[in-house]
Amino acid sequence: MKQPRYAQWSQTSAAAWAGFAAELSDATGHDLGLEQNGGYDLHFSEESLEATVSQYEVLKEKLGGDYPFEVLGHNALRREEPAIGPKVVGAILHRQDGHANPLNLLRALADDVRRLGGQVLTGKHVTHADKPDLFRVSCADGTEVHARKIVLSAGLGAMSLGPVLGFKAPIRPQRGQVMITEKLPKLINRPSLIARQTDEGGIQIGATNEEVGLNNGVTQTGLSGLAAEAVAAFPSLAKAQLVRSWGALRILSPDGLPIYQESPDMPGAYLVTCHSGVTLAAAHARFLPDWLEGTDGAPNLEAFSEDRFTLS
Amino acid sequence: MYNVDLIIIGAGPAGMSAARRAAELGISVLILDEQPVAGGQIYRNVDRASAVRSDILGKEYTHGLALTKGLHHDNITLLKGAVVWQIEEGTRVAFTQNGTGALAVGKRILLATGALERPMPLSGWTLPGVMTAGAAQILLKQSGIACQGAVLVGSGPLLYLIATQMVRAGVPPLALIETQTTRDLLRSMRHLGGALRGWPYLVKGLRMLWELRRAGIPRHVGATGITIEGDQAAQAISFYIGKSAHRIECDTVLLHHGVIPNTQAARSIDIPHLWDAAQNCFVPECDAWGRSAVATVFIAGDGAGIGGAKAAAFAGEIAALEIAHDLEGISRPDRDAAARKLRKHLAIECAARPFIDAAYPPYAGAIAPQDATIICRCEEVTAGDIRRFAGLGCLGPNQAKAFGRSGMGPCQGRYCGLSVSQILATANNISLDDTGYYRIRPPLKPVTMGELAAMAASEINEVKE
Repeated sequence: MKQPRYAQWSQTSAAAWAGFAAELSDATGHDLGLEQNGGYDLHFSEESLEATVSQYEVLKEKLGGDYPFEVLGHNALRREEPAIGPKVVGAILHRQDGHANPLNLLRALADDVRRLGGQVLTGKHVTHADKPDLFRVSCADGTEVHARKIVLSAGLGAMSLGPVLGFKAPIRPQRGQVMITEKLPKLINRPSLIARQTDEGGIQIGATNEEVGLNNGVTQTGLSGLAAEAVAAFPSLAKAQLVRSWGALRILSPDGLPIYQESPDMPGAYLVTCHSGVTLAAAHARFLPDWLEGTDGAPNLEAFSEDRFTLS
Repeated sequence: MYNVDLIIIGAGPAGMSAARRAAELGISVLILDEQPVAGGQIYRNVDRASAVRSDILGKEYTHGLALTKGLHHDNITLLKGAVVWQIEEGTRVAFTQNGTGALAVGKRILLATGALERPMPLSGWTLPGVMTAGAAQILLKQSGIACQGAVLVGSGPLLYLIATQMVRAGVPPLALIETQTTRDLLRSMRHLGGALRGWPYLVKGLRMLWELRRAGIPRHVGATGITIEGDQAAQAISFYIGKSAHRIECDTVLLHHGVIPNTQAARSIDIPHLWDAAQNCFVPECDAWGRSAVATVFIAGDGAGIGGAKAAAFAGEIAALEIAHDLEGISRPDRDAAARKLRKHLAIECAARPFIDAAYPPYAGAIAPQDATIICRCEEVTAGDIRRFAGLGCLGPNQAKAFGRSGMGPCQGRYCGLSVSQILATANNISLDDTGYYRIRPPLKPVTMGELAAMAASEINEVKE
């Protein structure tokens, strides 16, 4: 909605996801539960629907028309989603949106990195990094790792490690509370920001957007608000049992977009941070290595450099 | 919305005795209990069942009547069938009763959530016909139903108690398959001196063994390699005594190898827990009054460490004294004088515990189950899966969750939590304290989306007013 280059970059990733998922599941045997049948932005009032549509029109124009979306009124939406409630006036259908099972993605990546010869050291707390000749990463338990290049992809850990490597790393936590119901028969066909049904049957609801620092707790008011919205969208959810909830911290830059930056002080160190790691997983696996190696095929990621935070 | 001095979660012996003592000191008390009748697991249904089934359930069971009677006090409100699903800020409790969500606010909270049976994962334990011995006892207390032709498997006093109750009910078990060994018994002997202070427990134990012997119930002691056989349901159980193989045909198997504190509520508010090697379980950190690291929250009874029903009742009263002192219901000298007496009783109640813990340790074969044995029943995750996750770098149970969904089903990890921590600790060669436990999140018990959503509406109304 905000940044044409970001829309392109996530479109690129979405287009690469099917091949990426097929390769990963062939290599590891984990089905990632990928479905790319589109997703909704549900609206409870005509005003908000219209306002959002006009924002998308602007974006579409900036992208030279390459931004497919459809607007569905209540009846059209109900044909697609029979469980939708009367309070939903309509939805924007993004054909390119999809859904994958993030836990299966995690397992597949953990397996495949090792299969390809990567070493994963877990339970390490990185305390320092410098570059005497090669990079040297030091851990609290005394472990030292030396490398020609390093990628800082430590989530909120980049808040403290970023400046050590010469990055601004202006990121902050933003809490999202999420909840999930018991496993249910098929109720929701396409995902939305309000609710989605995983391949296992549980319906995932949320998340909230809260500026509460590093507190990743769950609140009754947060859960009740999410539940009220979900029940308004899909009334039959009222009878579903909530079995789990959690609070997690998004890793947000000031404009909410990813940061891809090579360190000006220590060339060969790269900061990679975003809050849509699943959407962007395919782009990160397929195209980011070219950028890290500086090959001719490298994607242009200038729009996501840290420079954008000094201009204003 | 309820507003009281003290919210007590759980109407077992600890909760009931705490409520009475606090009420007598002028403290307003709200008790939230899941069951339709007060009593907890030990005195479940005691008001109704003691008259008709006390001969089967025994004298100890009818002790509960005094505690349930004590709840009739003007300062006590008991909400039955109230399921607590969230605690916040050490003072706010969200619960559901009769399909409606509600909030209670208390200046203090006492967690008296008791114990759970230790999970006993072994080959075949998920077959129909297999349940915990505690579940069989619930059937007896609640409905007067006793399991025909059952085999009791495991160790500990409760196993004997249930066996004798089944004998008295006229449906004796086919056999007891006991997992404790003579070596355990020898090791426990060094605690025997201390245990003599708690001699009534020892006498009770001996009397139960004698009762089982008189009824001719075969006892197989020191069993290993226990496997429950069957395709669609349990058909037989096989095991070894030393090197000789045994097999008993049966369609009901009742498992039990001790109880552990139910720490879900305490963990959900980040109260620190420590591994107790003697009791083989995690216990919450509390001071001598039961006060936790969250200053407004107290824990009493088996939920703070296994001591049994009578110990729980004393601990509940001790916590109530300190809570009343916090809220200026009792002076410091009066609190201390009353507590001194209670602590003396408590020490006697707990005297036999080290002996019992050492003589009846958990079954080693269920602490380190075979790879093919299911650990997480909700998501069908095996012991071998958990060990593989350790190989993928999972150092703790929360990572294992992300890798294989263990603990993510409707039981919210109550069944598999301890097993997963123990398997990971062994596989990674890391202590239980460093391995830790699932991070417990609300809801503590399932709650419907409709109940949750309705509370959002009332919240909005409050703001509008």
